[in-house]
Amino acid sequence: MILEVKDLSCGYGGPDVVRNVSFSLREGERLCVLGPNGCGKTTLLRAVAGLLPRRGQVLLRGADAAALPRRELARRVALMSQLSPVYFSYTVYETVMLGRYPHRKGGLLDRDSDADRQAVRESLERVGLWSERDRPVTELSGGQLQRVFLARVFAQDPAVILLDEPTNHLDLKYQVELTESLRAWTARPGRCAVGVFHDISLALAFADTALVMCGGDVRYLGPAAALDRALLNRVYDMDVAGYMRSALRRWE
Amino acid sequence: MKTGRKMALLVLAAVLAVMAGTALGSVSIPPGDILAILSGRLFGTALPPDIGPGYPAMVTDMRLPRVALAFLTGAALAASGTVMQSVLQNPLASPFGLGVSSGAGLGAAIVIVTGLASGAMGPAILPAVSLAFALATAALVLWAAGRLDRGAGGVTIVLIGMAASLFFNAVMDLLAALSPAYAQRIGLWQLGSFSMREWSAVWVLAPVTAVTLAYFLCKARTLDVMTFGQEQAQAMGVDLPRARGWLIGAVALLAGTSVAFVGIIGFVDLIAPHVARRFFGASHRRVLPASALIGGTFMVLCDLAARTLIPPREIPIGSITALLGAPFFLYVYFTGRRRGRL
Repeated sequence: MILEVKDLSCGYGGPDVVRNVSFSLREGERLCVLGPNGCGKTTLLRAVAGLLPRRGQVLLRGADAAALPRRELARRVALMSQLSPVYFSYTVYETVMLGRYPHRKGGLLDRDSDADRQAVRESLERVGLWSERDRPVTELSGGQLQRVFLARVFAQDPAVILLDEPTNHLDLKYQVELTESLRAWTARPGRCAVGVFHDISLALAFADTALVMCGGDVRYLGPAAALDRALLNRVYDMDVAGYMRSALRRWE
Repeated sequence: MKTGRKMALLVLAAVLAVMAGTALGSVSIPPGDILAILSGRLFGTALPPDIGPGYPAMVTDMRLPRVALAFLTGAALAASGTVMQSVLQNPLASPFGLGVSSGAGLGAAIVIVTGLASGAMGPAILPAVSLAFALATAALVLWAAGRLDRGAGGVTIVLIGMAASLFFNAVMDLLAALSPAYAQRIGLWQLGSFSMREWSAVWVLAPVTAVTLAYFLCKARTLDVMTFGQEQAQAMGVDLPRARGWLIGAVALLAGTSVAFVGIIGFVDLIAPHVARRFFGASHRRVLPASALIGGTFMVLCDLAARTLIPPREIPIGSITALLGAPFFLYVYFTGRRRGRL
């Protein structure tokens, strides 16, 4: 197992926002987390990334993540948060190079190594932004910025990527490309990914396993292909499949 | 233009500003004479016979320590401002927003109204006490932010720092109002000044500036990562509470030391980092040295203006920097907002 989460509960000081979540990911596995607004998806991701105090266990190849220093943890787990504004005009290249931070020694004499440059170039090519590498990130559109942050996560070269609504600002073409580049990324040995999605069709295109949450509890954990229609309708409090079918009918 | 060439230009500008600051004043001293005096002092070379009789003392005992102190103060404040803006992810943050200046001001005011400042040990006690108050205020602000908000977000620190600043400023004003005999001295301290400074202040500020700048440069990449927000910085491997505590502590020491000697001089800490970023991009490896050079050069020129514009009177240095700084502050704010970045 690359990642095991056992009985994880956490909150923000008050009552728990996420309760007793357990799941585990094998090499190459991709998990999508689904559920309505405020069901605890983002909180779950942040807790797994070690950004919130939590109860329960997170194991990385059997090692307790809580015992790892921050830098060591960042070499194994990367988090792509929801898009936040950027204030400082780093270039695209510099921004992605910062993904190498946990792999470097730091200090006055620290310079970019060949491995760093190689990783940054590959990551930027993966998201199709190598030609834009000298542009300041403050001039980019939301979608381009999101791809820069995805490239930074790739450059971090972790075993586990956690993605919080990674397709939010992307147009349809890049949504599909992003899910494909993530599939290609997880195909390399020793890797897996967890993504929080709002778009259910995209989530199912991305993942082989689905975790459905509602009100902080897990309602479903199993193959994405076997997701039950009645369950989705209950969790989202609407006729999910009916809505999709009516959307489809418009094109037929 | 290449970064190296731009940096060389900045160094050249700094050297020219220091020369101008030393040469110009009530009496103008030719640059050649200044160099001869300096080389006489440093290497024991003989002075040319035609040099003005008062020049050597004027250069080495009056002008040069003043210019050096102005340069160091500008560099220290600019570097502190750069680090604060990055640590708090706020382009308008500054060490003064952390309460460093008002804390130092309160310390100075207490020393002044108790009469300690006029005693024999006054020139040593005043900066020592105001530095202690500056550090204590910064620690208090960080502690309170940590208590109020477990993550101690940048915004919480900014808000509490602002509240602390206003509160300590009010106490300082109260002290001034209650002891009218000292009110003028407190008021002058608040505006900042490089007059009547001796080498002793330079010998304290120079090593503090050099060591903290070197520390900031060691942490350049950590600072880069921190500008992208707390959550992302942590997820990329920064031990945030620790890194932030050390960096803000170093800022309080650096800004506090300069404020302790020369009083409150605003806006350089805000302006210099933005000018540096405009020409050097955002990376701290370039912005930190550039910002320090720009801040130092700007401060030397402001001080030159302060003492030569309406002789023999001297304009308070804080007024000069604010006169130039306030419009710039608005410019940064509004252009930033138009681009949807604030």
